[in-house]
Amino acid sequence: MSIWAIEAENLVKKFPQRAKKDGNGKKNKKFRWPRFKREPKALFTAVDGVSLQIERGEIFGLLGPNGAGKSTTIRMLCTLLEPTSGTAHVNGYDIVKQANQVRQNLGTVLAGERSIYWKLTGRENLEYFAALYHIPPAVARKRIDELIERTELKERADELVEKYSTGMRQRIAISKALLARPPILLLDEPTLGLDPQAARNLRELIVDLQKEGHTILLTTHYMEEADLLSDRIGIIDTGVIIALDTPEGLKQRIGQSEIVKLEVSGWYEKIGEQLRQLKGVENLSAHKSSADGVWEVSLHSTDSRAILPGVVETVNHNGTQLLNMNIVRPSLEDVFINLTGKALRD
Amino acid sequence: MTTMQQSLARPGFTANLQAFWAVTRREWTIFLRYPTWVIALFIWPMIFPMAYLLTARALSGVDGSGLAQFQLNTGVSDYIGYIAVGTTIWMWQNIVLWDVGFALRNEQMRGTLESNWLSPTWRFSFLMGSTLPQMVSMAMFMAVAVLEFSLIFGVRFEGSLWLSLLVLLVSIPSIYGLGFAFASVVITAREAHAFVFLVRGLVMIFCGITYPVTLLPEWMRSVTYLLPQTYVIHAMRLAALSPVQLADLMPDILSLIFFGVFWLTAGYLLFNWMERRARQTGSIGQY
Repeated sequence: MSIWAIEAENLVKKFPQRAKKDGNGKKNKKFRWPRFKREPKALFTAVDGVSLQIERGEIFGLLGPNGAGKSTTIRMLCTLLEPTSGTAHVNGYDIVKQANQVRQNLGTVLAGERSIYWKLTGRENLEYFAALYHIPPAVARKRIDELIERTELKERADELVEKYSTGMRQRIAISKALLARPPILLLDEPTLGLDPQAARNLRELIVDLQKEGHTILLTTHYMEEADLLSDRIGIIDTGVIIALDTPEGLKQRIGQSEIVKLEVSGWYEKIGEQLRQLKGVENLSAHKSSADGVWEVSLHSTDSRAILPGVVETVNHNGTQLLNMNIVRPSLEDVFINLTGKALRD
Repeated sequence: MTTMQQSLARPGFTANLQAFWAVTRREWTIFLRYPTWVIALFIWPMIFPMAYLLTARALSGVDGSGLAQFQLNTGVSDYIGYIAVGTTIWMWQNIVLWDVGFALRNEQMRGTLESNWLSPTWRFSFLMGSTLPQMVSMAMFMAVAVLEFSLIFGVRFEGSLWLSLLVLLVSIPSIYGLGFAFASVVITAREAHAFVFLVRGLVMIFCGITYPVTLLPEWMRSVTYLLPQTYVIHAMRLAALSPVQLADLMPDILSLIFFGVFWLTAGYLLFNWMERRARQTGSIGQY
């Protein structure tokens, strides 16, 4: 048996791109004479050479913004997608040549609440998926009772899923993945759309599952979640893993950097350019906060105290106003900004 | 970290059969949870043929004086039974195209296709398993149609029940094989309403659902004999409305067996092609 739970080597996935529309709204398809053959389609690279090894019993977080290639990577590992090139093994099985064995060794949660049948009860859903995962009926009944108890759905298990909250549906989706007691779990954005309490409960469940010996590959764009749960994190951007380490190791990568967090009203792009030019400022990201007209700005610096006077002077200019300012230790988000020059939510 | 307990899965032939049965049960349970099916079951067998029946009545005259020509063309005097059989078979094919043809597409739009695809179950089971409940509902549909035509319109089904059931049985592979082929194309194309309209239009015009195909121009007749529904309608009219023997039906039955093998094979091959293509393009998860 392979020493790695999951091993991927130089995984690449390219998708044909749709023909772009021209100015008249018509698709710009070109045909080649004399064979009247359409020109080869342009390819979009969603994953560009991902290599990783995940240890048995580890929680591995794949962190990146939307469209970074997290879901495509996970879809290749769970055999829904065939890689354009590269190889990967799950529990020692090749994802292309031994796809069925890979599926037997995986519990996967994709698309959360939409992955189950809303016109069936929670219990009926689990009975159905137990049969799909080849669990003998008598064993399945016992296992379903166990999972329903564990996910605190006993009172509502025989109600239609359409009457459940998002958190309850997600718990059924996770139970579905756990039915056959697979050694490896792939969880794609498991807390997306959950309220804070439900998300917290789910994180506790993920930690418990690790204690029971499951290997977990988790994709998320919530940095706190990745930081809290993961033993190691791979940061992915534009289809490439740009950093891979423990959460602490990643934070140490930005060395002695401190982060100056600003809240500014009346922000405009030119101020950003001026701040970037200040001596000691290594990187900057700015995004609009939920409050009206307020922007949150992060400045990376090796000596934050030295840049403060220049920051205050630059910001309090031409009607722009500094509302708040803090110096904080770097988070994973700051690591991401430091590596890519943009925020996770951009 | 504790040691992982052993997997509960016991793969094998029996496990795959249980999975197939689970798909069937799921589909049937969901079908029953939309109560409007009861209305569809009683209303549709009457609604669609009604327009044709009233047109026929207008053309034949209230006293039926215009029916002589119809009898000359078809060899049948009961035009209501003649139309009832044709339109019921048309509705069968039409419903199969919508139900079976869109079975996987509906799962795709619901978001559940991926979670099925993630399991180690033989993937063709998902299509076949959803077909069985459809067959049961169609059997109920046809039984209601026979009852309604007998009780309301006084149609006398003077043929053999067993021969009619035999015709239905040998029709299943071609009718559903076409549905399987459709389901596979729909999942890739993601939009196939135009195809459904095309096929049901072809059946309506070329298969003689309300008139004998011998009335069609010669070029149209050559198309007619390429469509299995022509043989289904012809054989069912003979079996249900006239006192015939098995030998009289054999040409149609043999043709239907041939078409059945062709369409089931085509359906299966297209499904496998779609499945491979979906793995390359990721179309399974696309809405």
